[in-house]
Amino acid sequence: MLMVEGTLILSCLIPALHFADGTTSPILASGLFTFNVGLLLLVRFRRATRPSDRRASYLLVVTMWLVLPLFGTLPFLSTGTLHTFSDALFESTSGITSTGATVFSAVEWLPSSILLWRSMTQWFGGFGIVLLVLALVPSMGINKYSLYTAEASGADNTGKQTTTMTSTVQQTLGIYLLLTAAFVFALWKSGMHVWDAVNITFTNISSGGFSIYNNSLERLTHAQQYIVALAMLFSGINFALLYNLFTFRWDRLHNKMEQISFYLIVYLVAALFVIFALRFNMGFDWGNSLRCGIVQTISVLTTTGSLAADTQQWWVPITYLFVVLSLCGGMAGSTSGGLKAMRVLILIRNVRKILRDKLHPHAVNPVRLNHKPVAADITTNVMVIFLVYVIVIFIGIMLLMLSGINATESIGAVIACITGYGPGLGLSGGFGCYAGFTIAAKLICSFLMVMGRLECLTVIILFIPAFWRR
Amino acid sequence: MLFLKHRRPFTELNPYQQFGLRRFNLKLIARLTGMMLVYMAMSMALPLAVSLYTRDGAQFALVFSAIIILMLGLFLQNFVGRGAEYELKENESYWVTIIVWLAIPACGTLPYLFTGGLASFTDAVFESFSGFTTTGSSVVSKPEELPAGLLVYRAFTQWIGGLGLMLFVVAILRKLTNGAGQLYEAEFSGTQQRKLHPRLARSVTRMWAIYSIITLVMIVALLLCGTPLVDALCLAFSTVSTGGFVTHTGGLSILGAKGLAVATLFMFLSGINVAILYRFFTLQWRRLGRDEELRTYLAIFFISILVCTVSFHTVGNDWTTAIHYSVFNIASTMSTCGFYIPKPANWSFLVSVITFILIIVGASAGSTGGGIKLRRIIILLKYVGNYFTRMLHPNAVFRVKVNGEPVENDYINKIFAFVFLYIAFIVGGAFVLTLCGSSIPDAICMAAANISNLGPSPLINNLGGNLDYTHLPHLAKWILTILMLAGRLELFALIAIFSPAYWRRG
Repeated sequence: MLMVEGTLILSCLIPALHFADGTTSPILASGLFTFNVGLLLLVRFRRATRPSDRRASYLLVVTMWLVLPLFGTLPFLSTGTLHTFSDALFESTSGITSTGATVFSAVEWLPSSILLWRSMTQWFGGFGIVLLVLALVPSMGINKYSLYTAEASGADNTGKQTTTMTSTVQQTLGIYLLLTAAFVFALWKSGMHVWDAVNITFTNISSGGFSIYNNSLERLTHAQQYIVALAMLFSGINFALLYNLFTFRWDRLHNKMEQISFYLIVYLVAALFVIFALRFNMGFDWGNSLRCGIVQTISVLTTTGSLAADTQQWWVPITYLFVVLSLCGGMAGSTSGGLKAMRVLILIRNVRKILRDKLHPHAVNPVRLNHKPVAADITTNVMVIFLVYVIVIFIGIMLLMLSGINATESIGAVIACITGYGPGLGLSGGFGCYAGFTIAAKLICSFLMVMGRLECLTVIILFIPAFWRR
Repeated sequence: MLFLKHRRPFTELNPYQQFGLRRFNLKLIARLTGMMLVYMAMSMALPLAVSLYTRDGAQFALVFSAIIILMLGLFLQNFVGRGAEYELKENESYWVTIIVWLAIPACGTLPYLFTGGLASFTDAVFESFSGFTTTGSSVVSKPEELPAGLLVYRAFTQWIGGLGLMLFVVAILRKLTNGAGQLYEAEFSGTQQRKLHPRLARSVTRMWAIYSIITLVMIVALLLCGTPLVDALCLAFSTVSTGGFVTHTGGLSILGAKGLAVATLFMFLSGINVAILYRFFTLQWRRLGRDEELRTYLAIFFISILVCTVSFHTVGNDWTTAIHYSVFNIASTMSTCGFYIPKPANWSFLVSVITFILIIVGASAGSTGGGIKLRRIIILLKYVGNYFTRMLHPNAVFRVKVNGEPVENDYINKIFAFVFLYIAFIVGGAFVLTLCGSSIPDAICMAAANISNLGPSPLINNLGGNLDYTHLPHLAKWILTILMLAGRLELFALIAIFSPAYWRRG
């Protein structure tokens, strides 16, 4: 895995050389270093016993998501763009977890290689490193299925397109590459420089949210913004669904119909509210409120975090709605964060089930999704994740407040980090940045991002004593 | 045609069936509501007596509203509800609960309107619902300017609502054998506590007895500490029912050190399961110490006091202030009383977070307090703990046990749904509050404090100095009223009436 990352860093050499901005040697050094460590580990442990139980896969996933950001800090530190380790770690974690929270108050002065590195971590991370592992290292003895559930926490096990894991991963990767290429092309056609188009596509298709401009999407033309919005919309849709959509297997779509309609309905309702609120409460003209409403709401719902305008100054109910929407998130099996549409649906359906139970105490009232009963252990899994999510948010807010950040900012930052949205509330919101946070707060936020990305359970289980007992 | 032949002609159907609606035992519901109203009118004798005794000029308004409520009650009980069958079907309990809970507080607005103590209808509704749901959020910024009779009435509404109106129904309506348990559960939904007596009515009577005795003891204790009679009455009603209405602008600070200690002790007691208190006072101590909920309650209580004290001290308050305020704050929050005394000079963020968590967690199940309830939290945390172990050992079988008794999976599922709804209500309510101009943390705290029936909390910054809700816009007051009711009815009853399945013919 480190080798892959090293290769990625090395590929940042291309812009560095191309633009000749003087970052060549540090990038080269960090790339080679990462690559070599990876190689070393691979050689050293080649003969290691192949672990196949659940513990190993949980441990592997979490270690990976902790180690990769560590090495991801190297380009920032070696080029001197960030001076403290905590800053670099924050930025790197935010990239790899495709969160999009940044410590840079302005990004346009950064060397282009670093900009590409930031975008690339998101593109790479957004897809889920684990899926890449599965595609690249199919020979590893790990029980692939349990690894897969560790990443996606079992929300959507039914969504596999084909029976074998490896081909699933390859198809998913194919779609991802295809989408990326398509949107790079579309943005380029709309008159953008290829360099910008690549960066912007990378960060938006992965629902990341880093930007190469100080004012995020505001710089783009309206048409380009709508294209980006479409990219974000796709980033919130389940890959299996996209695969079936693009290969015209529309008869298979019905097993995801409720999730996607829920996702789209939530989007439409929220966007309408935002549009009207912007028009009538903030005095935007119709064109702007339409654009901001459409682009910004999808950015929030898919937890991307690209900004169509400086949301920091927006009306409080809108910013609050954004917090709630990002908690809801896109569809399971997409690159977006948050709780995911499917889980929210199951939670709502479960309430309905309880009411039905009361009305017809002797009938069997299963929780249904897409007209099929949902297995009881999936329901409990969803509930446990929800509860743990809430508890982690509480603890996160408590820790941030202890580190000296006020209530609004803590709520904003914790939810932005755990869902992978990015911009928080107050100073860290909108075009602002997290530079004002203390070192402790940055570390907590970085940890929360990993936690949110791995959907809490996988990380927390490492803290259970039984995990380490034989 | 064959199908049609078996259907009864349209004209033979009763009005509900004609419109495809569910048929309810409306007569019984009317009779129950009527009886409740009659009792309520009779209970207004106490505020009236106080009013006559202190000559505050509110007697006519009180008599007038009592007469209206009495007439309405008698009408519902004897005309509408004549010949009711004393039988409730399984699913009707939610309806009874919700109708009684809407009718009683709605009639409870009359005294406020007649005395002119409150400015608008919205205010009166807010105050009345806040009273009956034992929330204690008030729109009166200077309570000492209200007539004494009205103050006592206001406090007394909390006392009536304290154990729950349904419990009152069960207690007064011995004839209702079929469905009484349903009613009991609609309000104490799924607390699954062991009953005090095999017969429901008997155990409910015992609960009322212990509740009344504790109130009396507190009144006497406050009087001994030198509190004036009216204040003692009001504050005892507010405390034991975990309401939180006060009688003076300064909150409980008028009580003096001894009175405050008494109040804190009773706040602490009122957060405990009434059944446990009954066992305690009837000297059945055998298994008390092993009750998990009680132990958790005590543990949380003392640990949070410790943490709060230390954190208050570290931000620069002296030890006495820190200890006094921490004990008071934790007792008031955990029991969901919601009293206030002046804050210490330096506030600590840690205390805010702890207080907020306690607001949501709330008191023990089966107590007069609100919140999610400790018992549910214990079950959930145990379940989540088991879940992690199960992730490692997928084939292991675990059972959550509380006090040695296994908890059914269906019930756990119900608790999860409850917690989800609870959080959804807070999040949704907070959204409307932000529309009314609150900041995000304030909106969340306010929604949480009202759904947990806490009322005023030092966390909410945009309230007046007296932690009253006077300045909020009307929309916010209505939303908070709904939240209070939702919290008191434990959500499901309120959700049910918005669910089409409960209207459709079954």
